[in-house]
Amino acid sequence: MSDNSIRFRPVSRRRVLAAGAAGGAVLAAAGTVPRVLRAQPAAIKVGLLHPVTGAISYSGQQARAGALMAIEDINAAGGIASMGGAMLEPVLGDAQSQPEVGAAEVERMNEEGVAAIIGAYASSISLATTQAAARYDLPHIVDVGVSDQIVSRGLANVFRFGPGFGKIADTAITNLVTINEAAGSPARTVMIVHEDSLFGSGLADLLNARLPEHGFEVLDTISHPTPTRDFNNVVLQLKARQPDLIIPANYYNEYVLLARTMLQQRVQPKAVYSVLGGAASSFRFLEEFPGAAQYIMDCNHWYDPSNPKSAELRQRAEGEGLYFTYEFFLDYCCVGLLADALERAGSAERPAIIEALAASTWDGHIMPYGPTEFVDGQNQGARPVNTQILGDDIEVIFPTEVASAEPVFPMPERG
Amino acid sequence: MRAQRYLPIALVTGGLALLPLVVTSNFLLNFLILTLLFALLGQAWNILGGFAGQFSFGHAVFFGSGAYATATLQIHLGVNPWVAMVLALAVGGLVGAMIGALSFRFRLRGSYFALITLAFAEVFRIIAHTADFTGGGSGILIPLDLRPANLQFEDKAGFYYLVLALTAGSLVITRALQDSRLGAWMLAIRENEDSARALGIDSFRVKLVAITLSGAMAAAAGVFYAQYFLYLDPGIAYGVGYSVEALLVPIIGGMGTVFGPLIGSFVLHGVDEATRGLTGDAPGLNLALYGALLIVMLRFLPAGLMGLAAQVKGIGHQRRTRQAHRLKEAGDA
Repeated sequence: MSDNSIRFRPVSRRRVLAAGAAGGAVLAAAGTVPRVLRAQPAAIKVGLLHPVTGAISYSGQQARAGALMAIEDINAAGGIASMGGAMLEPVLGDAQSQPEVGAAEVERMNEEGVAAIIGAYASSISLATTQAAARYDLPHIVDVGVSDQIVSRGLANVFRFGPGFGKIADTAITNLVTINEAAGSPARTVMIVHEDSLFGSGLADLLNARLPEHGFEVLDTISHPTPTRDFNNVVLQLKARQPDLIIPANYYNEYVLLARTMLQQRVQPKAVYSVLGGAASSFRFLEEFPGAAQYIMDCNHWYDPSNPKSAELRQRAEGEGLYFTYEFFLDYCCVGLLADALERAGSAERPAIIEALAASTWDGHIMPYGPTEFVDGQNQGARPVNTQILGDDIEVIFPTEVASAEPVFPMPERG
Repeated sequence: MRAQRYLPIALVTGGLALLPLVVTSNFLLNFLILTLLFALLGQAWNILGGFAGQFSFGHAVFFGSGAYATATLQIHLGVNPWVAMVLALAVGGLVGAMIGALSFRFRLRGSYFALITLAFAEVFRIIAHTADFTGGGSGILIPLDLRPANLQFEDKAGFYYLVLALTAGSLVITRALQDSRLGAWMLAIRENEDSARALGIDSFRVKLVAITLSGAMAAAAGVFYAQYFLYLDPGIAYGVGYSVEALLVPIIGGMGTVFGPLIGSFVLHGVDEATRGLTGDAPGLNLALYGALLIVMLRFLPAGLMGLAAQVKGIGHQRRTRQAHRLKEAGDA
């Protein structure tokens, strides 16, 4: 009887060692150790903290979407090269549109070991989250929160990429004076409609103080809470006083309702000149309510249209069914700012990241800011631009070096 | 016997005081701090609503007044925060006395009283918006200076012990009230105000004391909030959220009981955190689940969790009595 079974030679320890050494030598000679066989660097956790539920959830969700897309892009490009290609891992947080919930989320993120936090969209939430993060020297990049108090408390861990409302109010007034004078100064009276939290009220105070210095008379300032779902009374007041300019400063939903009610009640000012108007520079608003959106001017966060990367990013965002709003692209840029700091720090240690952010000169963003430069946590080059909704697009009308259209002022009759 | 009545409070406070020794997570400590803060606010509501039967929908008016009082005293007058805290409690009590005097003098009861408290909270919110000393809509920021002398602590445990002391104080006051003649008068008014008055109880005075005490206690919660977060605006201080939180906590835990608000706060916030953990990153799903659980609890536990405990205790007592009867009958046979 023949033995048909296959026989294996016993594998000795010497043979294993020899085979291993030979294999290693071949791979080393080729210099191509497969990536999967190399030790993977630990992922860097990044806290993305936004109000994705509650009264300002739309903006929070847009901000989160922008940050997530940026993380995807950075990871797809090989992660943080100086840290062996370490990937960024998002740790998501919901501030529920409340400061104390935002602060509690910072505690959770700190325990989860995030290297830095990006957020928290609203000024009042950002005040609470930056302070909570300061206890742990946790770097906190503020994406949108415009209150200047955020960067005036001497917190070394806080960096704001965008402009604060002091800068925004100055720019808005300077550009308004220029536009008005160029048209022969037809506008003299103003009414301000603002939401009543830190962002809207702070801005309204600044405008009330500075507009009279430039010859404008503020007829009235009307505040409203967020959320507000009926603007009929507000618009009736506007109609009764007939100001030349209406200046809204509020969040997305309230802005849309106010603009629609103004159109329905046929309020015809010489301009709707928003300052940080929640929907005034929003493609969603333009798409859904083109009639109410026409000719609205806004001084707001906006990308540099002459930068080819911005058109590409807009196309990608819209390709994924997202609106290319300021929340989206500011958060996209904030992740890039952090990635640049991580790249230069070569470490996910918090003091190293803070040091790298403080010395940041990053120009890979799509905003009209120039390279970043932080003084007391504020990006010095950050500035708003003036936009106007013209036809089916949002055009930049100021500053002239990045403008894509001439302002239309006074606006033609609408509706 | 009298000291024995305070033993559960001492045991609970002692147990809670030991927690920072074993809980090293700041996230958990933060959870405990907020839970005790809302237990304190809920206890304030409980004195007026649970004991005296006057349902307030606007307890934020006291919370916010306490918070603004301590902040403005520190910022504008340079008052030491510890002193400001005591003065803020007095402000909360005064606001309570004022609202009470106006409402009870005109015999506002039930839903009318609830609506007037809601209206007062809204009026105070609007005043805080327009007044300069409150910082208007921009709010007021207390400078960060982490020193115990400033009622700010480097360590979260410091804040924890502060809020625990305030909550323990509220438990002791509530127990003392429960055992006092004043507490009995409040219960009599809660059950039937007309009958209580017929028995010679001065219902106006008793309700006024209840709302003053409640106002001062809610102001203590406001003071703690201001010192912990160091920022206030009218929407935070007088927003409807704190009014709802103040009444939800004792309703879930058990109105008119000493431990109801504390238990209610632990359950509510525990459920909130648990649902957040269960639903992951899906926005709002935790809130939907939290709401559904709340509806179930309100449907099946009308007397709150303390009511459930009493029911369970009652069933046990009935069983033991029946068993004793059966044994007695068997013995007789």
